[in-house]
This record gives sequence, C-alpha cells and structure tokens, in this order.
Amino acid sequence: MGLIRLIVFGFIALSVIYFAISVYSRSVRREKLEKWWAEENPGSDDMQARAAYVERGLKEYDNSIRPRLILLVYIIPTVIVIATLIAVNWN
Amino acid sequence: MRKVTLTLKVLALVLAGAFLHYVLPQHDVARITSTEVIRMDFTRFNRLFFAQPDSGNQEFATRDIRLINTVRKKTWLLGFIRRDAEGVMVYRNEDTGWIWPPYFKFDSSDLQAEASANISTPDKPKWVVITHYGWRNRFFTVYPNAVAIRPVSGPDVTIIPWFNIFFFLFLGAAWLFVRAMWRQFRERSLDPALESAGEAWEQVDERASRARGRFTRWLATWRGKPRR
Repeated sequence: MGLIRLIVFGFIALSVIYFAISVYSRSVRREKLEKWWAEENPGSDDMQARAAYVERGLKEYDNSIRPRLILLVYIIPTVIVIATLIAVNWN
Repeated sequence: MRKVTLTLKVLALVLAGAFLHYVLPQHDVARITSTEVIRMDFTRFNRLFFAQPDSGNQEFATRDIRLINTVRKKTWLLGFIRRDAEGVMVYRNEDTGWIWPPYFKFDSSDLQAEASANISTPDKPKWVVITHYGWRNRFFTVYPNAVAIRPVSGPDVTIIPWFNIFFFLFLGAAWLFVRAMWRQFRERSLDPALESAGEAWEQVDERASRARGRFTRWLATWRGKPRR
C-alpha cells in the first residue's frame, strides 16, 4: 500500500531531520550561553560556575517553546501533502 | 586531480539539474486534438519513466496508458520564452499515487474527461495550459505526465511558475541551513575531537622518539667508537 509506505518512510525521514535540527539548535544555544557567560564574567576561569550557568540555561531552553517549534518539521510536510492532494485532485 | 574533481562536480550539477527538470512541474500552452488509450508493454528501461497503475489497481507487466494528443506552442529556454511556432506533443495521463513523484495525483480519469471536454479544431481553437512533468523521448517511448489542464482565453497568457519559485527559494534556504548545521557540528564536535586525538598522537610520537633515542644510544655503546 502506497499510503502506508509514505507514512512509514516519511516518518523515518522526518525523524532524522527532527533529530538533526534538535541537536543543532541545542548546540547553538550552548554556544550562546558560553558567550554570555564570558561577557558577564570577563577574565573569569571558574569552570565550575560556568558549567552550572550553561546547564541552567540549557534546562531553561528545554522548557521553553523553541524546542517544541521543531515539531513543525512533522506538521508542515503533512499540511503540504494534504494541500497538494486537495489542489491536484479537486475538480 | 583538480580537473577530476571539477569534472565530477560539473557532472553532479548536470545530473541534479536534469533530475529537477524531469520532476518539477512545467506549463505548456496547447490545444487538445484528441485523447486515446494505448496498451504499453514496458521494457525494464522505459518502465522507469512511467508511474504506477491507477491507485486502486494492481500492477502488471502490461497496462493501458491514457494519452492526450495536443498541438502546443513551442518554447525556448526551458519554457521561459514562448515562440509562435507550433508542434505536436503527446502527454500521458497517469496516477502518480502516494509515492513518486510527489504530485499525489489520483484523478487521471477525471483529467482525461477534462481533456476530452476541451478538444478543439484549428479553426476554432480552445487553448489550455497543461501542467506536466517529465520528458518526451521518441526512442524509448516516454511521455511527460499531464497533471492539470486549465482552459485559458488565448495563447498569450502569462504563466507565473509559483511552485518552482517557492521550491527554489526553499532549496536555497535548506542549503544554507544544512551548511550552518555542518559548520556548527565541525566547530563544536569534530574539531575538538580531532584536536584531542592530535594531542594524543603527539604524545605517542614523543614517547616513541624518546624510546628510539634511548635505543640508538644503547646501540652506539656497542660500536667501537662512540660518536662524540
């Protein structure tokens, strides 16, 4: 069945993209946190405080809306497929 | 070596361009002269250029294909410049189904009826815009697949390829995004890993050369004259 194949392979492909974007977004946030720390504490090399600051920031990030927005990776293609389906077959 | 990479790059670009040219929708201004159904006995090669049977049906080696015969305005430059010259064109009309290419077309029969409804003669032409993808190849018996038919008032309509515009914008954005992701990955994960690996290797190297030094010194003690 074509529809089942589409759903299964589409889900796998989108999951790969979702995972990659999640990792990327978190990595960008971590880098930003490290930069903010450097700005707020110039010349400090208290690595423990820095790590705690970054961890706290990442926890905040995990609870924010940003990581949830990545779920659009699943939603937008589904909407596009349905829209195409209607546009092409509507008489 | 640089010539080889350049050749490979050009080849990849040409293949990608040909692929997009095959798959992306194009618009032809045409008038339909007739519709027909022929039986096709595919070879393994030209089977690649046909979609699947109608979505409710079963796949066999042989099946009937709906065709739409037209006279269309010829174009230059991938359809961007329309000419006055006319030429015949034959489109197939097949369901693409759920998978490939992703047009999600299930209404071949309806499209065939639409095509029949717009049949006209040269004296009283009814012009239509046919959206299609694919290529016509006489040697392999391959036809472009018609996806939609839209009646228009005359052959001088302006067609804006909205889908292709947005598709290429999306492709560009996706390319930039993937590049940013790769750079981030390299900067944050790959380079530190390589660096620490490099440091480890240097340590190994240093220890080895120190050992070698000791060994050569030991060897030197067996020689008659120690160097210096």
